[in-house]
Amino acid sequence: MTSQTAPVETGYPWPIATTRLDNGLRVVVSEDRNNPVVCVNLWYDVGSRHEPEGQTGFAHLFEHLMFEGSVNVPKNEHMRSVQGNGGSLNATTNPDRTNYFETMPSEHLELALWLEADRMGGLVPALTQETLDNQREVVKNERRQRYENVPYGDAWLRLLPLLYPPGHPYHHSTIGSMEDLNAAALETFQAFHASYYAPNNAVLTVVGDASPDEVFALAGKYFGGLEPVSSIPPAPHGHLSGPAAAPARETVTGPVPAPRIYLSHRTHPFGTAGYDAITVLATVIGSGRGSRLYQRLADGKRIAQPDYVGAYGVDLAHAPAPLIITATAKDGVDASTLEEGLTEVLDGLAAEPVTEAELERAKALLTTSWWRQMSTVGGRADTLGRYATQFGDPAAAGYRLPGWQAVTSDDINDALLTLRPESRVTLTYLPGEQS
Amino acid sequence: MTLVADRPDPGAARPYSFPGVVRTPVAGGLVVAAHLPGQRLAYASLLLDAGAVHETAGREGTATILAKCLEEGTAQRDSAGFALALERLGAELSTAVDWDSFRAGVSVPAALLPGAVELLAEAVRTPRLDPGDVSRVRDDEVTALRMDWAQPGPRADAALRADLFGADERYGRPPHGDPASVAAVTVEDVLAFHADRLRRPGVLLVAGDLDQLDLAALGAAAFGGTSGDPAPAQPPLDVPVAAQRRIILVDRPGSVQSTLRLGHRAPHRAHPDYVTNTLAATVLGGAFTSRLNHLIREVKGYSYGIRGDFAMTRRFGRFGVSSAVQTAVTAPALVDTVGEITRTKDEGVTEDELAVARSWRAGQLSVEMQTPGSILSALATLVVHGLPDDYHATLRSQYLDATVEEVSAAAAAHLHPAGLTLVVEGDGAVIRDDLAATGLGEVIDAAV
Repeated sequence: MTSQTAPVETGYPWPIATTRLDNGLRVVVSEDRNNPVVCVNLWYDVGSRHEPEGQTGFAHLFEHLMFEGSVNVPKNEHMRSVQGNGGSLNATTNPDRTNYFETMPSEHLELALWLEADRMGGLVPALTQETLDNQREVVKNERRQRYENVPYGDAWLRLLPLLYPPGHPYHHSTIGSMEDLNAAALETFQAFHASYYAPNNAVLTVVGDASPDEVFALAGKYFGGLEPVSSIPPAPHGHLSGPAAAPARETVTGPVPAPRIYLSHRTHPFGTAGYDAITVLATVIGSGRGSRLYQRLADGKRIAQPDYVGAYGVDLAHAPAPLIITATAKDGVDASTLEEGLTEVLDGLAAEPVTEAELERAKALLTTSWWRQMSTVGGRADTLGRYATQFGDPAAAGYRLPGWQAVTSDDINDALLTLRPESRVTLTYLPGEQS
Repeated sequence: MTLVADRPDPGAARPYSFPGVVRTPVAGGLVVAAHLPGQRLAYASLLLDAGAVHETAGREGTATILAKCLEEGTAQRDSAGFALALERLGAELSTAVDWDSFRAGVSVPAALLPGAVELLAEAVRTPRLDPGDVSRVRDDEVTALRMDWAQPGPRADAALRADLFGADERYGRPPHGDPASVAAVTVEDVLAFHADRLRRPGVLLVAGDLDQLDLAALGAAAFGGTSGDPAPAQPPLDVPVAAQRRIILVDRPGSVQSTLRLGHRAPHRAHPDYVTNTLAATVLGGAFTSRLNHLIREVKGYSYGIRGDFAMTRRFGRFGVSSAVQTAVTAPALVDTVGEITRTKDEGVTEDELAVARSWRAGQLSVEMQTPGSILSALATLVVHGLPDDYHATLRSQYLDATVEEVSAAAAAHLHPAGLTLVVEGDGAVIRDDLAATGLGEVIDAAV
């Protein structure tokens, strides 16, 4: 079979219009009249990488506080206004940034902009000790529910400090420590908002049933009066002098149903050609029934559970991003057999190079997943916000898909240099009494 | 800091239009397609009259096992060969079994859809169904179901279903089977289900930019080598309501919460009262600011959440309320829940409540109908329930136009608090006497 995946010129074939308000807020608009819906998305260039020692988890806790009311929007009113009109909304925090977004029927565009402007500019006066205490408990419950009370749930928390040295902005997790969260004072949060939730530290993206002129005018009306912040504290430097020089290993015994192994490496920052190769390679290794992990460990040797093999990059842009490869043992298979199988697949990539057919399969799956992300106004808005924030140009979003498609077997060989055993992190979970 | 204090009013509501629907008969089957101009991805799904309702008694789960076996190789290729052929196009096979239908589908960039539909048809029409693979898939499914049935919920659901529809009826048993029925499924059952049900042409649903797609060619690939006529459609079932309310106790010793499943039978999906029923249920138990959630969660603090809705299929429906409440407050939570259902039936809804329900339902329709995947599901709704092609376009205005009188009348006609079955899955030793003391109905031990 010849290749059916025609190369594309751009992954973003919709119009993009941009402007910058006098206070520094960047506004990105991508008009699409196909459906009567609009997505409003804000990327704030602040994440857990900005948190100093003793304040881990603050960026994420702050994300919660943004739903608790602001000067003109009473508590719960944000959620009620969006959902009550049929909209959907959420917010997320990761090491790099914090984003907030809502998709609404387009007649409510102005409402969404008003809500976002009010919490960008008017959160601090509405922030009370009671709200902080309440949301701190919510976040601690979230930590218990998502990370501590779930089998394997703390894998990411354990991998980060093994991958990044102390002091590195990615060394600690976004959810933070219970101790730091307990010590959080109201003044610290007021200062956090004042430092980072500034129009000149944000990108406002609107995609869907609205014109650039309309959005620019409304952005001016609602956000134009907000004051910029003159000196926004930068995150600690994320420079690393190369892959880790020695392997690291951790074994956790606890209430898990079966042995599971994570292998991980620092690779390249998201947005680089090197990371495009890592993305394609991760798909070759771990996505779909045709992947090496599925074919060799789930189907071939039948040592891994078919639904739990995978490989993926974590798209972080400010330092070499992790690639994570994982498998869970089938009944009666021990961890060492599984680890042997996993390392055989990974280290075998040199002796048994990735074939053209494997590259093609990976690129085809990535192409479908790219267009699936682009099929909603919400997916498009978040993508434009990311590229505007991290690379200074929303139109750079169009280069990602061609970048994946351009990956060659030579690029894959270069990518493999970051996956050598001497820089490997191995995290193993074993069923048993908590140690 | 200068903020705009006044909350803006909504702009003029923009018209919602459902994509144009094209019906193309091909080779004994039917292609039903929606035109999405400029959409890069195209979706196709085979919709077959092979739902759970056709399964043999005692072998519930047969269709689900068959669906999982489709990727274990075809007459032409082994499982690895099939996976590589499909994934080389960027596609993965998705399957779903419900009461009314069996669906298998693919989504890819539009230019690759013909190849993907050929592979879809190959898997559905000519799966290898090697006995060893079928047995392995079945055993894995039994393991997964056992894990699932150890959680609270599935047993309560099964008890309610059996009471409403009768344990001897297919509708009275779990849609995907239980651990015992799945364990009993044989290789022959799976082969026979395939031979009877997956070789008839059926319907190919397509959503995408039709300017790039040849529907006749897609239909030819999907229906090639098929034969047989569609089975005659069965009429909707009657809606009998029990003369007396009763409580069914599913014992779960040591449980810290009680799982509540309340319900009675209701009209089928294509019933003319669908819109008013949905709005009444939204006011009563929809996720947002509903009466039940307000009382049980916000005022009383009995539960993290409670929902009430109408679930509807081609032949039947049921009104249901589900929640999990702290063990100590099981009885009062049950009394309050029945009270709110009764109040809604007797007093109807208010204009303020209905305004929120209308705005939510109508808005959600626009927000959700953006993607080829959701349009494809909407096409399936049209086909399965025999609804007109302009159905979704008018649905939005029907939601917005519904009056307090109409929705209150639907609540009065279709809610039956006096005939409810109240299933409680919890610690019987702790809650049994409290349940009896509520006077809500006789307490019976579940047979599950």
